[in-house]
Amino acid sequence: MANVLDLRRRIRSVKNTRQITKAMKMVSAAKLRRAQERALSARPYARMITSVLESLTRRIDIFDPETGNLRHPLFATRQEKRVLLVIISGDKGFAGAFNANILKTAFQFISGNPDREIDVEAVGRKSRDQMRRHYPAAVYSEQTDDHGRSVKIRDRKAPVEVTGDHPGMLLKLETSRVFELAQSIISRYVHEEIDAAYIVYNEFKSVISQRLVVERLLPIMKIGIPQITGATEPTTEERERAAEAALSAGISIEPVDTAAADEESRKFGTAQVDYIYEQPAEELFNGLLPQYVSSMLYHAMTESVAAEHAARMTAMDSATNNASDMIDTLTLHMNRVRQAAITKEIIEIVSGAAAA
Amino acid sequence: MADETNQLRVRLVTPERTLFDHAAVAVELPAKNGYMETLYGAAPLMAELGAGDVTLHGGPDGPESVTRYNVSWGFVEVLPDRVTILASDALKPEEIDVPRAQQQLDRGHKMWNEAGDSEEAYTEALHVIAEAEAKLATAAEKH
Repeated sequence: MANVLDLRRRIRSVKNTRQITKAMKMVSAAKLRRAQERALSARPYARMITSVLESLTRRIDIFDPETGNLRHPLFATRQEKRVLLVIISGDKGFAGAFNANILKTAFQFISGNPDREIDVEAVGRKSRDQMRRHYPAAVYSEQTDDHGRSVKIRDRKAPVEVTGDHPGMLLKLETSRVFELAQSIISRYVHEEIDAAYIVYNEFKSVISQRLVVERLLPIMKIGIPQITGATEPTTEERERAAEAALSAGISIEPVDTAAADEESRKFGTAQVDYIYEQPAEELFNGLLPQYVSSMLYHAMTESVAAEHAARMTAMDSATNNASDMIDTLTLHMNRVRQAAITKEIIEIVSGAAAA
Repeated sequence: MADETNQLRVRLVTPERTLFDHAAVAVELPAKNGYMETLYGAAPLMAELGAGDVTLHGGPDGPESVTRYNVSWGFVEVLPDRVTILASDALKPEEIDVPRAQQQLDRGHKMWNEAGDSEEAYTEALHVIAEAEAKLATAAEKH
C-alpha cells in the first residue's frame, strides 16, 4: 500500500498538472475571443461580395438561353469523377476529439466515394500528418509538348492522392495565402482536372452551436447559398460541457447579433438604380467570382480556427475538473492511510501496555 | 437630399476587416482603366479597381486632410452619397514593406520572362508587377 509520503507527492504532481491545464484553458479562451472577432470582422466583405454577385446575376445576360444555366465555367456541372477534398483541421493537439472528428469525417467521405478519384488538400498540420500516412503524394513528370515547352503531367497512381498541404496556414491566417489556394482550386476546376471541390471543416456559430460539415465549394449552384452535403451535430452532452467551460472562462455562449451590420453590407451593389458599369458587367462578374470562392474558403478557415480554440478550451476545462476530482480522491485516500497508521500505532502501544 | 456638408460616406472593406468607415469630401480611386475622382452626388457606378492609391480628401482629420491607402485589386460601388470600396488588400503607406515589394517586382519580371506564350501567365505576371510598382510608388511618395 502506498504510504503517506508517496500520496503527498502524487497530489503535488496532479496539482501542477491542474495549474497547466487551467492556464491552457485561459489561453484558449483568449484566443477564441480573438478568433471570434476576426470571423466577425470578415463578415462585411463576404456579405458584400455575395450581394453584389447576386445583383449582377439578375442584371446581366450571363444565362445560357438554351439550358438556363450560368455561362461561367465555375457554374458548369459535370459528372463528379474526380473530386478535390480540402480538409481543414487544427495544427496542434490537446483539443479533445476535434482533430479526430474532422479526420473521421474526411475518411468517411473518401471511403464513401470509392468510385471517384479524390485529390486531398490538407490544411493544418494534423490533417497533413494523417493524410500523408494513408495516401501517397501526387507525382508530376515533366514532359515536352509539341511547341517544345515543358509541361507538368500528372501521373496518377492511386485513387486517392495528396496534392498539397498547408501546415501553419491557420496559425497566421492571411487572406493572400487563402486567395492563392482558392486560385489554384479554381484553375484546376476550370482546366477540368477536378469536377467538384468539397471542404470538410468545423462550422462555428457560437460555443454551443457548432457542427462538422462537408460543404461543396465548386461548382457553384447559386450565389450566397452554401451547399452543405453532410453535417454532424454535437451531442447534447458535448454542448453542455462546452457551455460550462465557456461560462467558467467568461465567454459568451450566445452568437453575436450582427443583423444590423449584415443588413448594411447587403445593400452593397444592390441599390435600385441604373449603375454605370465601368467595365462590362460580365467582366466585373468574372473578377468577383474568384474573390467569392476565396471568401468562402477564408470563412471556413476562420470558423475552424474558432472551433479549434473552443474545443481546446472545453477539453482543458474537463482536464482541470478531472484533476480537481483526482486531488480530492487522493487527499481522502491519504488521510485514511495516515489515520490507519496512527490507529495501528495506538493499538500497538495499548496491546503492549496490556501485555506488560 | 444634400445636407450642408455634402459629404460622402466612404467605406474601405478588406476580406479581413473594415479598415475605414468615415465621411470625406472627395475620393480618388484607382480604377482599372485609370484614376477617377468622385464627389458628392456622383452618378451610380460600379468599377473594378486596379493597383494604386485610394486618396480621401477631407477625411477624419479635418476638411484639408488627405488620407491615403494603397489598395490592390478590388471593386467599388459609387452612389450619390456613398462610396464602398472592396479591396483584396489595403495598406497604409507606412505599412508597406519596401524590400518585399521589390522582391515581388523581381518575381513579377521573372514570371513575365518565363510566361512563354501562355496568355494566363502573362496576365498573372502583369498583376504581380502592377501591384509591386503601385506599392513602391506609394512608399516612395511618403518620403
